[in-house]
Amino acid sequence: MNTVIIKNIFRSTTTLCMRSQKSINTAAACIVKRDFHTTKPTQDLMEFFDAKKNWPETNIRVGRAWKLDELRLKSNTDLHKLWYVLLKERNMLYTMEHECNERVRLFPNPERIDKVEESMNNIESVIRERNIAYYKLETGETGERPVKDVINLIGMPEKYQPSEYDTPKFMNTRWVRPYLKHGFINSLAVKKFRRLYNEKIHSEVRKAHNRDFNHVQHLLKRFPNLDMDTLKAEYPNVDIEKAKRTKKSRGHFMPTY
Amino acid sequence: MSTRWYPIYQRGNPQLRVFLPNFWMKLVRPHPKQLPNIVHFHCSMEMTKYDIKNYLEKIYEVPVVDVRTKINMGKFKKDVVKGYVIKEDDVKVAFVTLPKTMTFKYPDLFEKSINEEEEHAKSLDESKKNFRKYIDHNKSRPDIPSWFSI
Repeated sequence: MNTVIIKNIFRSTTTLCMRSQKSINTAAACIVKRDFHTTKPTQDLMEFFDAKKNWPETNIRVGRAWKLDELRLKSNTDLHKLWYVLLKERNMLYTMEHECNERVRLFPNPERIDKVEESMNNIESVIRERNIAYYKLETGETGERPVKDVINLIGMPEKYQPSEYDTPKFMNTRWVRPYLKHGFINSLAVKKFRRLYNEKIHSEVRKAHNRDFNHVQHLLKRFPNLDMDTLKAEYPNVDIEKAKRTKKSRGHFMPTY
Repeated sequence: MSTRWYPIYQRGNPQLRVFLPNFWMKLVRPHPKQLPNIVHFHCSMEMTKYDIKNYLEKIYEVPVVDVRTKINMGKFKKDVVKGYVIKEDDVKVAFVTLPKTMTFKYPDLFEKSINEEEEHAKSLDESKKNFRKYIDHNKSRPDIPSWFSI
């Protein structure tokens, strides 16, 4: 019994030792790898300009933007570093573009700016995904900024993201008075606007309905043996029986006498 | 320190911590007469003087003594044909003072590429070569238009 236990302990310790050996090896590899890094030395304000060899160039070739799937593999630290690299790159491109415009020259390959911006947007969306996942796990909510459905000044429904104000809502008389009590929503101008706007929407719907109805009548005239089910599926809000009875759908025919 | 979410002042003024600032700055050519340690920037409209100082010191590691800002209003322009009015964007300009010992001279980016004739000759050669290539390519099939194949 004892021997078995001792054997087990011995085995586990040896494996532990082996493992630690392995980890030491990997750590050494990391250190070796860390010696080689491609970060540019800081050049102070000259970082706002492109590399000197690119100044007279008319065509500067660069790679593509970072994709979402590539960024999802990266750690938060890496994304953080990459963000600053891209930020500096964008500032550099803006500076060069501005100077080119000032001196009336063509800015070589302006799509570089779009590529950098796309990469930055992708980083932001990846970080956001992670944030949402973390918040959902910890609190059950997304942690995003809340969005409210409100009626805006011209009486239209609007999505509103609450933001910070220096005076609380109940103290803010300047906001409450015009907006809610006898404010813009009930004013003559807003009422008139709403009336005309509703009329516009209504007439659009009516015209669309009439258009469909006419089209169905003409279809019936030209193709009297149409498949009615297909027609019904294509134009669900048209009364086909009514369309069949109209004069427009009858078509020309020769009298038989 | 970003344009997405800029919290207002709170009592005790807690420090802002921003992990992904999206402010931009561009270094622009200064006036002809300018002290050598003053640098001109255009920057995001939301940036304050402190933001500009922190941005340069933390991200670019440039020591900053003083920052002054102003907002240049964009010009109003009238469309020549239709007569409607267009307004250009406003620009926030930052005048950054570096320490006395530092100087910055705005580089001349187009020093080398001034030789326009050479540039012109180069592009002419290029187009001649392309035309030659196209002719050679279409020798055996003269009726086919250029867009038909690559």
